[in-house]
Formats: sequence, C-alpha cells, structure tokens
Amino acid sequence: MSASPLAIIAEITHRCPLHCVYCSNPLQMASPSSELATDQWATVFEQAAKLGVLHIHFSGGEPLAREDLTQLVRSGHSRGLYTNLITSAIGLSESRLDELVKAGLDHVQLSLQDSREASANWIAGTRAHALKLAIAPAIRRSGVAFTINIVVHRQNVDHLEEMIAMAESLEPQRLEIAHTQYYGWAWKNAEQLLPTRKQVLESLEIVSAAQKRLEGKIRIDAVVPDYYARFPKACMGGWGQRQMLIDPAGTVLPCHAAAVIPGLRFENVLDRSLEWIWRESESFRKFRGESWMPEPCRSCDRRSEDFGGCRCQAFMITGNAAATDPVCSLAPLRSLIDEKIAQANSVAEPAPDLLPIQQENFWVYRPQPK
Amino acid sequence: MAELEDSSQPRLAPGCRWSGEGAERTLVFPEGALRLQETARAILERCDGQRTFKQIVEELAGAYNSSDPAKIRQDAMTFLERLRQKRLVDF
Repeated sequence: MSASPLAIIAEITHRCPLHCVYCSNPLQMASPSSELATDQWATVFEQAAKLGVLHIHFSGGEPLAREDLTQLVRSGHSRGLYTNLITSAIGLSESRLDELVKAGLDHVQLSLQDSREASANWIAGTRAHALKLAIAPAIRRSGVAFTINIVVHRQNVDHLEEMIAMAESLEPQRLEIAHTQYYGWAWKNAEQLLPTRKQVLESLEIVSAAQKRLEGKIRIDAVVPDYYARFPKACMGGWGQRQMLIDPAGTVLPCHAAAVIPGLRFENVLDRSLEWIWRESESFRKFRGESWMPEPCRSCDRRSEDFGGCRCQAFMITGNAAATDPVCSLAPLRSLIDEKIAQANSVAEPAPDLLPIQQENFWVYRPQPK
Repeated sequence: MAELEDSSQPRLAPGCRWSGEGAERTLVFPEGALRLQETARAILERCDGQRTFKQIVEELAGAYNSSDPAKIRQDAMTFLERLRQKRLVDF
C-alpha cells in the first residue's frame, strides 16, 4: 500500500452559480450550514501536510462562493502545499485574483462549457460564458499557472476544434480535454451526454493533431471516454492509493462518487485525524490493494495498472461494487455497457448548429444545495 | 518553437516549483509531482532562468568530473526537451 496520499480534493462548498449537467457532485449535496469553518480547514491542511500530501485542489461547487477562500489558500500554502483552484471564475475579479495570488495560489483551472455562447450557457444552466471569457486574460496576466478544462460530450464534441482554438487564444500552459464521466449529475444525464462512436473517434483524432501542433506551447491532457475503451481507467490512481476527497461538511471519501456505494461508512475530519482515516478507516481499506478482486481481475496482468477500474461505476452499472469494472472488455458484464453504446449510436447525433433548447426537460440541471 | 541553444536560459515553467528539502525535494506542478534522480535534479536545479545552457553543462561537467562533456550536453538537452514537451520547463 502507498505510504501517503499525494493530493487532497477539498470540496469547500457545494454552492455554485452554475448548474452544469455533468457536475460530479453527489446528488445529495452538503448544505451551506454544514460547511467546515476556516479554522477547521486549516487543521485539515496541517494534518495533510504532515501526512505527506503535496497538492490541495480547491474545488466545489464553486470555491469562490466561499468568502474566506483567500485565507484557505494562504493556510494551505503556508503548510507547503501546492494550491490549485478549480473554478468557473464566476465571482472572480482582478482584485480578488491578485489577493489569491499573493496568498500563494499556484494554479488556476478554468472550465469552459463550449466555444459557442448559447450552447455553453445551455450546458451550464446560466449565462456564465461571457463572464469567463472576460476574466480569462487577467488570469493569464497574473502569472499564475493556467489550465483550461473543457468537458466534452454528445452535445458539444462536434465543436472540439473551435473549442481548442478558443482555449489557444486564452494562452494557458495546459489544456484538459475530458470526455464526460458518468457520475453524479452526469449519470442522470447520461443518455443526452454519451457520444456516438463516430464522435469519439473524430475527437481522438482532433486531440492528437492538436497535441502535435501545440507541442511545447500548450500541454494537452486528454481523458478518454471509458465506455468506448477496451480497458478501464485507473480510477483515482487506485482506491485509497493517491487521493482523498473531503466534502464541504468534512466527510472524507476515496473519490467524488464513493457515497453511492451502500454499506460504506465514511469518517469525518471533525471526529478522526486524516492519518487515521487514510490508514485505518474501513472505507479507505475496503478496495485498497488486490484482495477484494474477483476474477478476471485477480489473475489479470493489468491489475497493477488499472486496479480493476472504478468501484463506483461497477456498483452503478452492475449493482455490485466489487465486480470488475463493466467497461473492461474482459468483464463478465461488459454487455451492459455495450447496450448503452448501442442505444447511443442508434439515435442520430445532434446537428452541430442547432440546440435542442426548445425541448423542455432535456436535461436535469444540478440545483443549489439546500 | 525555439531550439535549446547554448545561450538559452532554461527555467521552470509557470506553476512548476520545488517542494520539500534534501532527499525529499520534489518537483510539483499542476496535477503531478516528480521525485528526480540525482543527476536529473542537478540539471533542473540549475534551471533558474539566469544560467545559460552552456553554463549549466559546464557546471555539471565540473561537478561530475566528466571526461565527456559532449555526452553530458546531449543528455541534458534530451532531458530538458522532454520536460518542455510536458510543459515543466521553458527556454
């Protein structure tokens, strides 16, 4: 087992001005009144640094919705942690950015929903796109390391070249192009989000060409759509191997989606030390290592590379969290994924220039936490 | 894209910095971290945006008492070009 986690994902609030239809937040969000206080997070960061953690990813919801974000960044930075802000940039002004950078912010990851404004706002469920583009040059000028993140799916992937060109014009050092993963709100909208095989293949070619063209200028990291892959992703680098996620109320999870798995008891930083939770808690030990694995994983040569894939996906699709990830071509229940793909490919792709905006209830938008 | 030349002044890319001290010293950057072997670290720790590539190679040749500076130059160049592809180094 690995000695210590490398990164903490700090979901400091579930409040968010956006309502993205692929949001990775759980369907049961943490209420604003349950959020940890500034000094409670400071204790968490101190414990994390002692445990050997290197990165702290400030996430949400929208982290900027917390008025004490600058203090939180300063607190993480002062413990020697690498601080990353994962943001929509709604709520970011030049003066606030300046404060954050002075507090020791290392990196900003700005999300874009599409290259086309109407579509971007439709996906985010609010008029956010123009505000993002307005603040992006200030992020670039501030000198903080800058990544643009674009989540792609059935409704926007046909604009991928345009999206890459837009990202390029904003001059980040890094661009993440992530096919949607079907958890949280994306699971609810999976039928609307799952691309066709043709869309996937075209997107892979476009990404590969852009990687060559922009080599040495913008690093492009791509997340491939695992439903169309032969082997599963090494989800979170292995359960309880590299990362911990702390939700707004202090509950500690091995990943964004783990709360969907029934029967697991998740600990809270208010009750237990981070080190105890990492090393001893039932939830982190449950699928750590290989002893939980069924066949064909148990004797598979790839088990140390992909760790049997994703436990949450296994549960959501097969009903058994200890099953081989069904996206694996060797999984006994791969047919469940093939059915979903067949369905996605039996319906015509959306026309790239038209939005089904007129269709009522096309999406399930992520609401605000109560 | 600029080639790495003797007069280039390589430096860590934005968002890329050192964390920790001594043998624990780690290069941290968005979404990752690298604990480097001694020679790789010796190259990268000299990439301060001030030293030229030529100076870096000379210092390394001195530090490792090398009889083959051309090989050191070639190895350092390959290494730095690879790190630039990953956007960890600029020059």
